[in-house]
Amino acid sequence: MKVRFWGVRGSLPVPGSSTVRYGGNTSCVEVLSDAGTRVIVDAGTGIRFLGKEIVREAQSAGKKIGSTYILISHTHWDHIQGLPFFSPLYNPEARLQIFARKRDDVRLRTVLAMQADTPYFPIPFHETRASIDFGELPDEATFPIAELNIATARLNHPYVATAYAISGDGCKVVYVSDTAPFEKILFGEEFIAKAPGADVELPIGDRNQLSAMRSSLVRLCEGADLVDYDTMFTDNDYKILPHFGHSRPMDAIDICREAGVSKLALFHHAPERSDDEVDAMLETARKLARTVAPNLTICAAYEGLQLPLGGSR
Amino acid sequence: MEITFWGVRGSIPSPGPGTVRYGGNTPCVSVTLAGGEPIMFDCGTGARNFGNALMSTPFGKGQGQMTVVLSHAQWDHIQGFPFFRPFYIPGNRFTVVGARSAAELQTVLEGQMAAQYFPVQTYRNMASAIELVGALDKDRIAIGTATLRACPILGGPPGAAGYRLQDGKKAIAYVGHGSPLSGTHAEIQELCRDVDLLIHECSFTPEDSSRYPTRQLSSLDQTLETAIGSGAKKLALVHYDQDYTDGEVDALVARARAAVTDRGSKLEVMGAAEGLILKV
Repeated sequence: MKVRFWGVRGSLPVPGSSTVRYGGNTSCVEVLSDAGTRVIVDAGTGIRFLGKEIVREAQSAGKKIGSTYILISHTHWDHIQGLPFFSPLYNPEARLQIFARKRDDVRLRTVLAMQADTPYFPIPFHETRASIDFGELPDEATFPIAELNIATARLNHPYVATAYAISGDGCKVVYVSDTAPFEKILFGEEFIAKAPGADVELPIGDRNQLSAMRSSLVRLCEGADLVDYDTMFTDNDYKILPHFGHSRPMDAIDICREAGVSKLALFHHAPERSDDEVDAMLETARKLARTVAPNLTICAAYEGLQLPLGGSR
Repeated sequence: MEITFWGVRGSIPSPGPGTVRYGGNTPCVSVTLAGGEPIMFDCGTGARNFGNALMSTPFGKGQGQMTVVLSHAQWDHIQGFPFFRPFYIPGNRFTVVGARSAAELQTVLEGQMAAQYFPVQTYRNMASAIELVGALDKDRIAIGTATLRACPILGGPPGAAGYRLQDGKKAIAYVGHGSPLSGTHAEIQELCRDVDLLIHECSFTPEDSSRYPTRQLSSLDQTLETAIGSGAKKLALVHYDQDYTDGEVDALVARARAAVTDRGSKLEVMGAAEGLILKV
């Protein structure tokens, strides 16, 4: 199994000279099994380049484009905004299956189609040429994609996000983005205008729910070879903006330590973070892990990073 | 007037080493009038950097006032809206001009800010005062000593308009999205008549344009048609195709200059880049 990062940024794409090394495209990660099953997690602007690659690959092999599976963590812009620019969407030979958490208020197809509605985009969703199926998932789902197994857990993020574990070829990768730590705020449907005061006690029901959510996530990550984790925030960012729904490296390290994870990829870098600042965050995270999680390897995901897992090369 | 380019890329932001010189942010151009009033044309991802720069001005203290003009509602021209920090500072006041009517503009912005797409859920949750004005609701909009006039883009996306900003004897025009028909469109040429600076969408060469007919964008030919036909003094190209590298934009600009010379025009052409500042 091979994991490749096509977009590692959160919030919005940030072009410019200070983001060239890690990359400015929003979230998109490709998981390719040894047998060639391709699962894409999230459709930020990075998916545009992956789409070109898929077309190029099929052309040079003289083959049809075939099936692609897309798992959507949640439908905030930075996780879906690349979809209208994903070239297989316009190819009649392509088959796409798009999965996301089932919601009571709106269907997945509607959410994705509206992105291409007039006047936002020139090509309406019903004019795309690929055959597209939509899968709506419960909070804790398990299901197969070809020879791979997918499992999900609910994350603590405004409007709710989903973590995905992808297992196969004797290894496991888990995508955990976006999420806040499981403390202070239980995120749901409502808009949270400001950080809660230091003296505000979370109701016991909320605390129990967060604790159960956290346990489920640890179980999902159990023994994973690689975890990509939303570490958008520094300690100071989190102090000021706990109501934005993002984690610090220390939160990711805690979960990975408890779950016995081999490697952590810092992911969903903040738009304002320069390449040097991501370097510095990585350094700080590694220092912290040396004492609390000495068996954990940490990297900071960058566009183009390829990580072979298990025996694949 | 002082004009600053914050985003010059079309369709989708294009980060990477190949776009560092011209920049990969989607359209945003700010104008400061002689009297000091600020205006922002389009709210692509470039608006994020503009907004951050404004935080050390009265906008950071909730004492700012600005007109925001949206050329049309395609993503690349509005996707920076939720990330413009002055919108979140109580006390700031904004007039947002765009779409055919205020009601249509409201539908566009609320669709963008809806809970499934953005945690703020509605633009009304942004703490500043935001008033919406349809671009075609009024004949002219006064901004300080200047007037703003809109003209619909023939064959362009729904609700797309070109704008002329006249401040005393000086004028600029902003056409954020032309169309395959707009080049020879008499009303657009009239809107841009004799402006000191025309900022015009120019996504690609005519050859590349014919490969993407559904995108309704301008090629170099249409852009030059409007610029030369209107008698504009200076033309700043913006909205380069997302796949164009800096070298390819250089070539596009060189080709524009050669075409202008061939036609015996005195039009001055430049390829706008992020960070470029022009005075009119």
